[in-house]
Amino acid sequence: MAAWRPSHRGRHRLDHYRAPEPDLLLGGHRTIFCNEFEKNQGFKFKGNSISTTKYNVLTFLPKGLFEQFRRVANLYFLMISILSATPVSPVNPITNVVPLTLVLSVSLIKEAFEDWKRFINDKAINGTAVEVLRDDRWKKLPWRRLRVGDIVKVNQDSFFPADLLFLASTNQDGICYVETANLDGETNLKIRKALERTWDYVDEERAKDFRGEIQCEQPNNSLYTFTGNLVIGKQTLPVTPNQLLLRGCSLRNTEYIVGVVVFTGHETKVMMNAMNVPSKRSTLERRLDKLILILFSVLFTMCLVGAICSGIFINRKYWYLGLTSDVEDQFNPGNRFLVASLAFLTFVTLFSPIIPISLYVSIEMIKFIQVTQFINKDLRMYHKDTKTPALARTSNLNEELGQVEYIFSDKTGTLTRNLMEFFKCSIGGVMYGTGVTEIEKGAARRNGTSMEEVESSKDFHEKYFNFEDDKLMKGAWRQEGSPELCKEFFRCLAICHTVLPEGDELPDKITYQAASPDEAALVTAAKMFGFFFFRRSPTTIKVRESHIEKIGRIQDVEYEILNVLEFNSTRKRQSVICRYPNGRLVLYCKGADSVIYERLNDRGNTFKDVNRDHLEYFGSAGLRTLCLAYRDLDINLYESWNEKFVQAKSALRDREKKLDEVAELIERDLVLLGCTAIEDKLQEGVPACIETLAKAGIKIWVLTGDKLETAINIAYACSLINNGMKQFIINSDTKEIREVEDRGDPIETAQMIERIVSKKLHDSLQQALDSERTQMGLELALIIDGRCLMHALDPQLRGTLLKLSMLCKAVVCCRVSPLQKAQVTSLIKDGAKKITLSIGDGANDVSMIQAAHIGVGISGMEGMQAVMASDFAIAQFRFLTELLLVHGRLSYIRISKVVCYFFYKNLMFTLTQFWFNLYTGFSGQRFYDDWYQSLYNVVFTALPVIIVGIFDKDVSIANARKYPQLYKAGIENAFFKWRILIVWALSAVYQSIILFYFPAKAIMEGKNGSGRMLGLWDAGTMAFTCVVVTVNVRLLMACNFVTKWHLISIFGSILAWFIFAFLYSGIRNQLDRQGNVYKVIFIIMGTWYFWLLIVLVPICSLALDFCYEGLQRWFAPCDYQIIQEVEKREGSPVDGFLLVESPRLSAEEQTSIALAQLPREMSRHTGYSFDSPCFDSFFASQEGVSMSHRSYDIARRASMRGPRRLSSDAGQDSPLYL
Amino acid sequence: MRPSPLLSMWGGTNISLSLGFFLPLLLVQVVEIVDEYQTACIPSSYTNNDERVQYIQDVNTNKLCTRTLTVPKHMKQPIFVYYQLENYYQNHRRYVKSRSDKQLLNGDSTSSTDTETCKPEQFLGELPIIPCGLIAWSLFNDTYSFTSGGHAITINKKGISWKSDREHKFGSFYPQNFPNNLPNNQNGSLIGGASLDPNVSLNENEDLIVWMRTAALPTFRKLYGRIDQNLNAHTQLSVQISNNYNTYSFDGKKKLVLSTTSWLGGKNDFLGVAYITVGSFCIFLALAFFLLHWKHPRPLGDTKYSLSRGHKVGKPVAN
Repeated sequence: MAAWRPSHRGRHRLDHYRAPEPDLLLGGHRTIFCNEFEKNQGFKFKGNSISTTKYNVLTFLPKGLFEQFRRVANLYFLMISILSATPVSPVNPITNVVPLTLVLSVSLIKEAFEDWKRFINDKAINGTAVEVLRDDRWKKLPWRRLRVGDIVKVNQDSFFPADLLFLASTNQDGICYVETANLDGETNLKIRKALERTWDYVDEERAKDFRGEIQCEQPNNSLYTFTGNLVIGKQTLPVTPNQLLLRGCSLRNTEYIVGVVVFTGHETKVMMNAMNVPSKRSTLERRLDKLILILFSVLFTMCLVGAICSGIFINRKYWYLGLTSDVEDQFNPGNRFLVASLAFLTFVTLFSPIIPISLYVSIEMIKFIQVTQFINKDLRMYHKDTKTPALARTSNLNEELGQVEYIFSDKTGTLTRNLMEFFKCSIGGVMYGTGVTEIEKGAARRNGTSMEEVESSKDFHEKYFNFEDDKLMKGAWRQEGSPELCKEFFRCLAICHTVLPEGDELPDKITYQAASPDEAALVTAAKMFGFFFFRRSPTTIKVRESHIEKIGRIQDVEYEILNVLEFNSTRKRQSVICRYPNGRLVLYCKGADSVIYERLNDRGNTFKDVNRDHLEYFGSAGLRTLCLAYRDLDINLYESWNEKFVQAKSALRDREKKLDEVAELIERDLVLLGCTAIEDKLQEGVPACIETLAKAGIKIWVLTGDKLETAINIAYACSLINNGMKQFIINSDTKEIREVEDRGDPIETAQMIERIVSKKLHDSLQQALDSERTQMGLELALIIDGRCLMHALDPQLRGTLLKLSMLCKAVVCCRVSPLQKAQVTSLIKDGAKKITLSIGDGANDVSMIQAAHIGVGISGMEGMQAVMASDFAIAQFRFLTELLLVHGRLSYIRISKVVCYFFYKNLMFTLTQFWFNLYTGFSGQRFYDDWYQSLYNVVFTALPVIIVGIFDKDVSIANARKYPQLYKAGIENAFFKWRILIVWALSAVYQSIILFYFPAKAIMEGKNGSGRMLGLWDAGTMAFTCVVVTVNVRLLMACNFVTKWHLISIFGSILAWFIFAFLYSGIRNQLDRQGNVYKVIFIIMGTWYFWLLIVLVPICSLALDFCYEGLQRWFAPCDYQIIQEVEKREGSPVDGFLLVESPRLSAEEQTSIALAQLPREMSRHTGYSFDSPCFDSFFASQEGVSMSHRSYDIARRASMRGPRRLSSDAGQDSPLYL
Repeated sequence: MRPSPLLSMWGGTNISLSLGFFLPLLLVQVVEIVDEYQTACIPSSYTNNDERVQYIQDVNTNKLCTRTLTVPKHMKQPIFVYYQLENYYQNHRRYVKSRSDKQLLNGDSTSSTDTETCKPEQFLGELPIIPCGLIAWSLFNDTYSFTSGGHAITINKKGISWKSDREHKFGSFYPQNFPNNLPNNQNGSLIGGASLDPNVSLNENEDLIVWMRTAALPTFRKLYGRIDQNLNAHTQLSVQISNNYNTYSFDGKKKLVLSTTSWLGGKNDFLGVAYITVGSFCIFLALAFFLLHWKHPRPLGDTKYSLSRGHKVGKPVAN
């Protein structure tokens, strides 16, 4: 059953998204001789020291530089630098070498620093001491000295130094407990059990005599598989993952263990897994590449124009140029084509600053700060209960967060808490449990019938257990119709699981270590029913049973566990074969209704149909169901089966598959016991968050493995779907399909489904298009299940599905496999070219997380697989609001601004040189000194833009949350679309004209008091001063928000130019190649027009921008500008608790509104729909009316208040958001 | 802190206005006489440029030419004498770099590496040229002398170059092997512009220093000298021009300019016009915005108002 979280999900976890290594497929194997190093020498096994560094001292420069020059911009500048060393260059090579060197050194220092940290880390790890058997004694050696075949002793709480074959432990029965948190983040302990044959080798006296030969698979990256044999003497023993202790895990609850090293260093499974996931690039960055391409073409055009004109211009009539017959090629009028070609190269070097070399490194720095200072430190995204802060695992995608249009969400653990509570059950066709889920309450209220609120009489609430029914509690089940079935039911709960008990063996002290919370809930339920599971050994389970013989009698019963047939996603069930103390052999099985019903025996399951009704009812109430069944086994039957089982278990190849096949043989003829229903509570704030995101223009899709009913109900609960919506349901679980299915022909079934899906899709699309035309504002929802989706994703239907889903406001896909989740994500990502975000918490979401533009993992609760694959990790779904609407939006605005600004300032700067060259006979003469040009990008205009990239903020954070609609600008890409860039480009052209002509013209006629004339370099220096001032002031103008840092950096940059100018032209230096600008600054500053120009030129060049901004603001204000005006009028709100209180409505009004919201169309499943706590407030806010919150709602809100108030302390004016 | 565009516009307006209004007032006093003489100073029988070039390059022709200028208004001393060249690319890349600042400063170090940049005017035969390079070689060589009512007006040629150039860029040493000093076309070297007096050190030759501060645009003025006496209105100035410099081959204009000066400088039309234009534009804008606000008032911060995409910003979320 899909609602059941697999207990050993780990088994198949990695295989979902990683192909096994070729080695594994080829099946070569290695042989290891334990404790005999000499024999192993021939195999050349790798040592145990690891190195995760990218570089070493020798390779750092070549390799690091190689990495850097893989960036086109860097490579381009390298080529330009080389070109500028040739005579065609108008500029000194220094002009291009300096910025390149600076950019490269920043990047290299960063690389070196990161690598150094890795090196230190490696060194520490390699130097960790471990006890190894050398010369027949335990000897402390560093990990790096470990060899394959060594026998090691690992003490409690220390890490395994390599992949070990578990030989012996101080615990009885050769077991030990390991924690795998480093591998998969699961903190529950796992049991490993040594082979019985090796239990004795626990002290050095015995261990030194251990000789054996291990034949096992070649090193591979599959964490959960291991096949091999241990040959001791003439005995061959099969070895399973159960005997393998992986490097990276740690030993718990065991004094020490002894093991043989199997895989070392980089061959260990954990290291083989440490692959580099290819990093994602943001859409904005990809668009940036296009921009760079455009800049290249502008550059090319400019160079071409310059080159052609240069070829035309050159003429011997300009006798003063000395164009004699032996003039060099680049000025030889005799060969104009050659002149033009060489001039082209000249112009390329001259205009090279048009490509913003420091852009990438600046963006990297900005993003790094955004991540480390803002996202990772946001108190609003800190989950107090689990003490989990938000974590950005990559800094590449910050601005992508501001443009998300589609969110794909997993249900369990993402929308819901993944806190399972045993809520109801059905035993032998009788339903137990008086509790009413919120979903049911909502449904009842909508139908006008009131539900009596049963006040909880319990003062103590057991975790995982929210069941109330006196008919079952305290032994009352004995009085029920079928007490035997009840007993079996409870025993099944207490025995059939893989939970580990921890702590004191008392009902209120014990804690259960379970891989999935469902299991913990089931075992807790058994405890509450009087079947207290308190001790597990590898072969037995001890249960303290009460009220068996008579009420109040308690006895400990030990069940011998013979086999565990584990859960996996194909089996969807788990079985345990146990032997009662009296010798009775029973197989207990629990699993999905579909698989259990297939395997029931024909007789004796009289309540099958009643149970199915109950299952449907539970499903519609949003509960997760699980069927329980058992089978009494005949000893002969069992023995013969067990032989096959052992065979399968020791198979070296396809072990998993063989085990599945063998399990199939015994899991049949089952007797149905009943079913359990577990409630999975919605996470705090989910409906509000979804509502906010919807307002921000984001479409949310729920992709879940749950049943249709559960999925729809959850969608209702989190206000994704409401009854005002028209729903298209495409479902494979219909009568006609089932009929075809019963005939048992899979091909026919597939064709049938395909026909139906195709018809339904086309019909729905037609209807959707119709309603689009006729009914304005009718919202659509699509609900589709996995089997139909499989067909809908076929190439010929894909387009229809895409069109339909684009029209829908909400889409719910249920019963989908991890692969389908990824396919759906790709459908939108590639088909609709929209920016997608996937959010999930489990291993089944990994593929989806990796497929989307942005992957978000829910951290803190379960395994770390999703988090490890994600780009961002947050603790709660509701933090998405903060992540997208605040951080994403700001990051997008900032990065867009930074890129636009870079584009503008480089284009403008280069254009001034271009205009100048129109007046130099297209000779490629430079207008500015080499050093001005080289420091322009990296010094005089570098810092302010980074400050803006870090601090700029259009509206206050509080208003960004209050008006989610502001986010739409990001979806529409309003800040980085071509129109914006064109405006910047036009402004750059205009300003460059002003900035060239004004200084040049001004000095043409001008004189100073002494009548002396100014020359080329005076004009250049003057123009450059104006450029620096203008460009920096332009940035100030572009700021939405000015702090002292802005002012310091902007005026600091201008000051830096002046300081540089004084030093550079004040001192006769070697850097100034020809003494061109020597003393220039003093001369021009002694003239009045320098001062006049420095005022006039920036004003004149920025006047156009002023006008544009003013008119745009007045006639076509952007949303954010309106909010800015609101802030101006009302003052920036202090970020605080922004709950808008709503007036209360009377009970009649509530009912009437509830009635008004009855579904317009009733379909088969909507009958189970309900309205969620926030369902009506969603409508209310649409209509402008507010309604009171119901009692439970208030309770819920009260519970939400705590953390919010906490976060309100971190207001916008805290250092986080300066 | 949030800069409001309207407010900034006001600021800009005020600055521009104040400067734009009072600047032209100062410039009114400046008097300027411009005389274009390159055609007038060639006998009219030389009709096309080729013939004019021949005339100019012929050693034997008499290149003296007299022009009469009338002073339009009273000109207060000092009166600056400029020559203005047009279509002359002193900023051509080949030209700009054809000099050796090292050689100009330390004349002794005439090693070929120091004069590498001077090509093609690096050596005269085997001997290094001082000062080398195209710029020095093409030194302007028209000369002017002024008489008024029979009295010669002295032209003061001291102090026409920047002090920092004289002191820090040109050394105290003498021209050597300068090709222009040779008789015409001897050794096959082309004669460029002026010859240099071998007895005047480089840092004293202010004409050279002025010439070597290359101009930014192909139309440029260079200071020729200073007249340290007042000229009354309607004074007839007779200028004797020695028309030696070849601008005919590339159709360049030559102009003689006399100009007085103000505290700001010369008659700088450009800056004044620019100030007035920008200032008036800002006034216009300010008025326009006022009118706009008056005619089409837009309630600030009205969240219902958004033309950009035709959707309402909407109500705040209630949480």
